[in-house]
Amino acid sequence: MSFGMGMPASTAATLGTMADSAAAAVAPRSRRYRPGPPDEVFFPVTPMLDMAFQLLAFFILTFKAPSAETHIDLYLPATPAALPSGPRGQARPSPSRAIDADLENDLLVRAEADDLGDLKALRLGEAIVPDLPALGSRLRRYTQLLGNHPLRVRLVADDRLRYEPAARIIATCSAAGITSVRLAQPGAIPALRGLPPGPGAGGGAR
Amino acid sequence: MGTRSTNMISPNLTPLLDVVLQLITFFMMLVHFGSRLEGSNRAVRLPVAPAALPGSDLTFDRLPVSLDQRGGLRYGGRVLLGAAASAWWAEQAKIRRAGLELLPPGPSGGDELPTVVILRADRDASYGTVRRTLAEAQEQGFAKFSLVVLRREHP
Repeated sequence: MSFGMGMPASTAATLGTMADSAAAAVAPRSRRYRPGPPDEVFFPVTPMLDMAFQLLAFFILTFKAPSAETHIDLYLPATPAALPSGPRGQARPSPSRAIDADLENDLLVRAEADDLGDLKALRLGEAIVPDLPALGSRLRRYTQLLGNHPLRVRLVADDRLRYEPAARIIATCSAAGITSVRLAQPGAIPALRGLPPGPGAGGGAR
Repeated sequence: MGTRSTNMISPNLTPLLDVVLQLITFFMMLVHFGSRLEGSNRAVRLPVAPAALPGSDLTFDRLPVSLDQRGGLRYGGRVLLGAAASAWWAEQAKIRRAGLELLPPGPSGGDELPTVVILRADRDASYGTVRRTLAEAQEQGFAKFSLVVLRREHP
């Protein structure tokens, strides 16, 4: 069947479709094609919350209260005589021990205790140091002056001194950049034996 | 007559998630801070040294010991005094030297033990006791020591 004028049926159908489209463009849209409000985007929070709670539980269970503990490193080379002999009967001195023989370059810090074991007097060399911050500032100045040259401290303290002030002295030396702190026996430094505890002994390291 | 609402009730999880993530951040930050060294016990009250800086990282080869107020050496629940403490240091050095024979010689030549002795001494112990303890360990070949102190008083 044709629409006339010898037009084939397929062409007529095409034209009919175009006419329908043009009519649809002019006429108001039907309700089926009217765009509705945008769908609400749903973000799945539940798996994230599960993960977060698991992490939280892990950290709470493995949590340790922050500790105020710290440690002061000391390198105290063993005395060669006490070491076992080497394979050929000779102890092999390490370089650090060769340096250790140079005691004259060590700064002497002397700590004297009162009857209760508290710190009574503190000396750097033979100079009186009023307190630990002053000792720290002096030592820090020395380390800055010496630059890369290592500075060692030899602590000579009364045996009856309580460990707490002694540990504070060692910590002060360590914080001032002293590379090595040695603990000497009270009578190990003959030059300091019998030194009067009062002020006035000058000539030490200042 | 009232009508029941059919709207779905969805709780607002965003503030909860915010709090949880903040808590996680808090614990993650704190987990790296100061850690208690091994060997702590209640018989030893550590000295407080605010000037102490954090020490270097400790090696795996460590020997934690404690020194109580009377100068007793505490290790593994035992309290050693005098000659027993000296014998214990010698025994520890012997054990470690036996272990070192299996390893290649270290940079120190093998005469010094690489073990780090972690000493927790009581604040009221005498300095002489601590020094003698260190000297006993030194005589046996221990050369590396770490004195454990507190940077501030515990509340």
